[in-house]
Amino acid sequence: MFSRRVFMVTTTAAAVLTAIAGQAFAQGKPFDGVQLSVLMEGHPTTDAIQKLLPEFKELTGIDVALEVVPEQDITAKMLLELSSKSGRYDVVQNNIIYIPGFVKNGYIVPLDENLAKHKEQFDQADFVKGYFDTNVVDGKIYGVPVYGESTFVMYRKDLFEQHGLSEPKTFDDIANAAKTISEKTNKEIVGITMRGQQGIQGVYVWAAYLWGFGGSFLDANGKSALATPEGIASLDAFTKVLKDYGPVGVANFGWEENRLLFQQGKAAITLDATVNGAYNEDPAASSVVGKVGYAPVPMQSKSPKGGSSSLAVHSLYVTADSQNQEAATLFSAWATAKEQQLKSMASDPNSGVTSLTALNGEEFTKRYGAFKDAMIAAINQGNPQYLPTIDQANEVINNTGIAVSKALAGTTTAAEALKEADEVNNAAIGR
Amino acid sequence: MTQRSDPSRLFYQPIVAVLTVTSLVLTVYVVWLSLRDLSLMRAGRDTFVGFDNYIRFFQDSRGLWALWRTVLFTVLATSIEVLLGLAIVLFLDRHFFLKRLVRTLLLVPIIMTPVVVGLTWRFIFDPATGMANYVLSRLGFSAMDWLGSPQVAFYSVLIADIWQWTPFVILLSMAALDSAPQDPMDAARVDGAREWQVTWYVLLPMLRRAIAIVALIRAIDSIKAFDLFYIMTRGGPALSTETLNYYGYVLAFTNFEISYSMTVALILTVFTNFALLAMYGVLFPKSGERP
Repeated sequence: MFSRRVFMVTTTAAAVLTAIAGQAFAQGKPFDGVQLSVLMEGHPTTDAIQKLLPEFKELTGIDVALEVVPEQDITAKMLLELSSKSGRYDVVQNNIIYIPGFVKNGYIVPLDENLAKHKEQFDQADFVKGYFDTNVVDGKIYGVPVYGESTFVMYRKDLFEQHGLSEPKTFDDIANAAKTISEKTNKEIVGITMRGQQGIQGVYVWAAYLWGFGGSFLDANGKSALATPEGIASLDAFTKVLKDYGPVGVANFGWEENRLLFQQGKAAITLDATVNGAYNEDPAASSVVGKVGYAPVPMQSKSPKGGSSSLAVHSLYVTADSQNQEAATLFSAWATAKEQQLKSMASDPNSGVTSLTALNGEEFTKRYGAFKDAMIAAINQGNPQYLPTIDQANEVINNTGIAVSKALAGTTTAAEALKEADEVNNAAIGR
Repeated sequence: MTQRSDPSRLFYQPIVAVLTVTSLVLTVYVVWLSLRDLSLMRAGRDTFVGFDNYIRFFQDSRGLWALWRTVLFTVLATSIEVLLGLAIVLFLDRHFFLKRLVRTLLLVPIIMTPVVVGLTWRFIFDPATGMANYVLSRLGFSAMDWLGSPQVAFYSVLIADIWQWTPFVILLSMAALDSAPQDPMDAARVDGAREWQVTWYVLLPMLRRAIAIVALIRAIDSIKAFDLFYIMTRGGPALSTETLNYYGYVLAFTNFEISYSMTVALILTVFTNFALLAMYGVLFPKSGERP
C-alpha cells in the first residue's frame, strides 16, 4: 500500500513538472504541440507547401497532417465532413465558387480577427487584388488565396506571320485565322483547339464566348438565362469554329488533350487557362517554345454583363468545427505568405502565385516572362462571376456542360440545348 | 450428426448474422434517405418528402435514358462476351504448343485495374495519335472519332469492356470444359455424330451450368460498370455514355443531392434484382434436367 502511494505521488509530481517545463518551453510558441488536419488539392503549390511543412513546425511547433486529394473529388470529400460537423479538417482548400454556399451553410468562418493577431504572416497588400477580393463576403475575409489563374488566347506567332494574320482581337478574327491556317495547311495544322468534353471542361472555355458575346449564366433575378440571343449566338460560334476547324475528337477533349495538341505544335490557336503558358514555354516538353503569342480573351459585345476572362482562385478556408481556429488561420496565412510563395516557385512549376512580390520577382520573369504581361492583364480583367457562384453552382455547370456537349455533337441545336439547360437549372435553383 | 449439434455452425453463423444485420441496416438507411431531400449544400434543411424522389425519377428523362443505356450495355456486353468467350474456348479446346502461355496471357486483362484499362483504351482511341486510327488508316479507312462522337462513344467503351472481360468467360469455361467427361462425346462419335453435332448436342449442354454462372456474374458486373465510363468519357459526349450508375454518381458527387442519388441507386438495385431473378429462373429451371 505504502509503496503504491509513493509511486502515485512521484508520478504525479513528475507529470506536473513536465507540464510546467513544457509551458516554459513553449514561450513564444503558443501553439506548440497543436495538431492540424489540412485537406488540399493535388497541385504544384500543394507539393511545395508540403515540402516546407518542417519549417512551419520549427517556427510554430504546430504539427500539420496534410491530406492531398485530386481537385475534382475534393468538394464531395469535404462536404461529407462539413455537413456532418465532424471537425475532421481544420483547414480545407477549394475553388472560390463554393464560398457563398459554404458561408450560407455555416461551414467556414471569417478570419479577420485571427489574421489581425498574426500580422507577421499576413500581408493583405501583397496579394493580387483580384485574387484576394474573391474571398471577401459581406466585408469579411473568409479565405486566403493559394493559387489563381485566368484565361487567355494562345496563338502561334510564326504561323500567323507566315499566313499574313495579325493578333486576334475578336471571336471573328479567331474563326477567320483558324479557317485560313486550317485551309492553307490542308488541315495539317488544326485551326483551333479547345476543350469540348461534357461537364466543367467544356463549360469553362465556352463561358469565355458566353460573356464575350454579352450573355451570362444568370439573370438579374438569379434565374438561369442561357437561352438568350447572346447565349445562343455564343454557343453557335463556339461549336461552329470547333466543328469546322477543330481537331477530330474534340468533343472528348479535356484540359490534358487540348494542352498536348497545342504543345506539340499541331494546332494554331487555343483558348485556355493561363497556366498553359507555363507548359508552352517548357523546353523539356514543348515544341512551341518562344513561338506562342498571348492575347486577351476577346470581348465582342458592346454592353457586356461581365468580363470574358475567367478568374479561378483556390483558397484555404478554416472550418467552423475546427477546435484550433487560430492555429488553423495561422497556417493558412503562413502557407500563402510571400516567403513561401517565392520558395514554391523554385521547387515546383507554379505560375499561379498570388503574391505580388513573387509575381514581380526575378524568378517569375525568368521562367514565365513570355506570357507574364498577358497573364496579369487577364487577371485584372478577370470576372469573379465567370462561373456561377450560387449554392447549386456544380449542378448548373453540369447541366450547362450537357447543353454545350449536345450542341457540339450536333444532336440538338444550340437554342434547344440551352433551353433545356435553363429548365433543369431553374428546377435545381428552385429546390 | 443432426444439424442442431453441428459445431461448425458456430463458425459461420456469426458471420452470416453480421452480414445480414449490416446489409439490413444499410438498406433501411438508404430507404430512409430516399424519402427525404438531403443535399450537402442545404445542411440541416432536409425534410421528409415521401415518394417525391421516386416520382421525380420517373419524370426525369435523363435518368430514364441512363436506365436504358444500362440495360443496353448489360445485354450487349454480357451476350457478346459469353458468345465470343465460348467460341474462343471451343477453338482452344485442343492440345497445342504454348497452351499454357495463352492461358497466362488471358489473365492479363482481368488482373489490370479498370482505371488502367480505361486509360489504355483512351490512348488507343485517341483520334490523332491513337493506334485504332493508325490501323484504320493502314487498312485504307478514314479516321474514326471513337470517343468524341455520340453515335460511337458508347460502343467504344463496350469494346474496352469486352476486351477486359471476355478472358474471364474463357477461363471459367475452359475450367468447366477440362473437367467435363470425355466418354459421352466419344460415345456420340461412335454413334456417327459429326463434330459440330457433338459440340452442339453433347458438349455445350454439359457446359450449360458453368456458362449460366459466368453470364450471371458478367451481367451483375456490367450493371455496376463505372470505372471505364468515368475514365474514358465521363458520360459524354451529349450524355451518350451516361449509365444509371454514373448518373447516380453525378447526382451524389457533383450535385451533392444525396437523397435523390440514393433513390436512383435504390431503383437500380431493385431493377437489377428483378432482372437477375428472371435471368436465374431462365438459366436454372427448377424442375427437370433442362428446358
